[in-house]
Amino acid sequence: MEILHNLAFGFEHALTMQNLMFCAIGCVVGTLVGLLPGLGPLATISLLLPLTFSIPTQGALIMLAGIYYGAQYGDSVSAITMKIPHASSIVACIDGYQMTLKGKTGLALFTAGVSSFIGGTVAIIVLAALAPALGEVALKFGPADYTALMLFGFVCVSFVTTGSLLDGLAMCMVGVLLGQIGTDINSGVQRYTLGLPMLVDGVGLVSVALGCFGIAEITKNLDSRTERTPFSGKIKLMPTWPEFKRIIPSALRGSAVGSFLGILPGGGPVIAQFAAYAIDRKVSKYRHEIGSGAIEGVAGQAAADEAAARTSFIPLMSIGIPENAVMALMMGAFIIKGIQPGPNMIAQHPDLFWGLVASMWIGNCFLLILNVPMVRYLLSVFKIPYAVLFPSILFFCCVGTYSVNNSLEDIYITTAFGLMGYIFVRLLLDPAPLMLGFILGPMLEENFRRSLLLSRGSFTVFVTRPIAGTLIGLIAIFMLWQLIVFVRDSRKGKPIEAPAPAT
Amino acid sequence: MKDKNLLKGLFLIAIALAFGLGALKYPVGKLERAGPGFFPLMVSGILFLLGAAMVIRSRFTERIPMEFTAKNIAIIMASLIGFAVLSRYLNMIAGITFLVFVSASAGTSYSWVRNALVAAVLIGIAFVFQKGLGLQLPLISN
Repeated sequence: MEILHNLAFGFEHALTMQNLMFCAIGCVVGTLVGLLPGLGPLATISLLLPLTFSIPTQGALIMLAGIYYGAQYGDSVSAITMKIPHASSIVACIDGYQMTLKGKTGLALFTAGVSSFIGGTVAIIVLAALAPALGEVALKFGPADYTALMLFGFVCVSFVTTGSLLDGLAMCMVGVLLGQIGTDINSGVQRYTLGLPMLVDGVGLVSVALGCFGIAEITKNLDSRTERTPFSGKIKLMPTWPEFKRIIPSALRGSAVGSFLGILPGGGPVIAQFAAYAIDRKVSKYRHEIGSGAIEGVAGQAAADEAAARTSFIPLMSIGIPENAVMALMMGAFIIKGIQPGPNMIAQHPDLFWGLVASMWIGNCFLLILNVPMVRYLLSVFKIPYAVLFPSILFFCCVGTYSVNNSLEDIYITTAFGLMGYIFVRLLLDPAPLMLGFILGPMLEENFRRSLLLSRGSFTVFVTRPIAGTLIGLIAIFMLWQLIVFVRDSRKGKPIEAPAPAT
Repeated sequence: MKDKNLLKGLFLIAIALAFGLGALKYPVGKLERAGPGFFPLMVSGILFLLGAAMVIRSRFTERIPMEFTAKNIAIIMASLIGFAVLSRYLNMIAGITFLVFVSASAGTSYSWVRNALVAAVLIGIAFVFQKGLGLQLPLISN
């Protein structure tokens, strides 16, 4: 009953005219920008983040969350209609695009919309029930446990998002190092500022995000030089009743899978989609059709996608550790607004927390009643040629960077990160773990130094404390397993050449 | 140097060295009271090892050539820097015009009319931002 009471309290805050408006703006703008070629949720959020600076805290967070799941939905729309995969909607390309080829675009979009709604609703119940409980557990965490938990998160994210533990971890470390730029909070020493006054406060979150995700992505798209043909087919939205009935079981399965996978470190929408799709292919009544444009192939993954997008807020808001790059960006936004996510957040800002939870459900309704019927109009953004689009996006990157501190010099930093992000993209290094490392870096350092201070310089504290010890043990097992797999594969593959000296 | 995996490792090693050598300038301190140089030194050490592992790994895997077109990223960077410089010393209207006309040359086709239109619309949006959202954009002058 307490949950209902809390949710009612949340709806009270989320249902004000102002917050409803911010939620609607967030959903629509998020969907619209998410639709644009090459801009996934990460780029969308970083592009729109500066817009929320001048908005009151609660409205800003509600709008950001709306942007996030709006972008998520926009992504699947562009995947279904045009097979443009963003990082977050690869699975929607499979059956969704097959349905478009069969002329069932409207049905696919409707399925995605309804399933997202179901997934979101289930996830919000999970979120409301689990986050406060987990927050109480998190109060028992000491600095060593937090350090271990962050390292565990790095390992999980590296493996899940990039598929290569080595690459991902390296990117996390680069992010941590970039987070070192600026004034050291413990000693006041200025680190890596190169004597430039603009670096004394560190590099801005918006600069890193826009450089690595905005500018680097645009340049990559320009390099590929493929002109996309805009979608011009007809959209018939309303399904028949038998079609509608097929959506439900698959969407519920997807919601369960997504809610669960969204909570785990390194989890989130991408892995949830794959898992839900795999499960549908195993257990669905129509499994023989999946892959060639089945409703289930769209419903399950869309539900899992939205469910995971929402439950991934749980670790952020109850423990204070973001579990993936998008949540790291959200955390940055929370901190800019003066809110420290963590076990104390629910107690200190109940209106913010429950208001945000309630707004997620309202956002769900907006997606369903606003975006799904409007989708044919939203799709007209694809009629804008890229030659018009990318200078405009660059302009928004500049204005976004500038408006953080009203400083034109920040644009130089964004430009530098654009170059770095582009090099990373060309080296096939995924910048997503970098974002996580960048946000967690200062926290990692603080907790690491504090745990060493408490243990008088002994590293055993990371092994002897039960929580930290378990996490470190898991990391060790995981790394060992990766090493064994690598050695076995290289034995099996070709005869090992004598390792050339590293140049 | 046509090996992407090798270059990846070397690039990360370079970053590790840059931060690691920089960290030596700051007091490292002791374990129980770590100085400002301790943590960056440790992290760059880890990054160095990871980079070295990639270099070693690249010897066992197939070599993939690296594709890198300097032209587009150079154009984009030039347009951004030009935007900042012009907005600083002249005004943002000039900055926006410069940004649009220079960056457009990275696209597949180039049209003066289209660029002029895009620039005009963006300047309009900038005015809306300034008046409507209260952003302090140096549109006319500083």
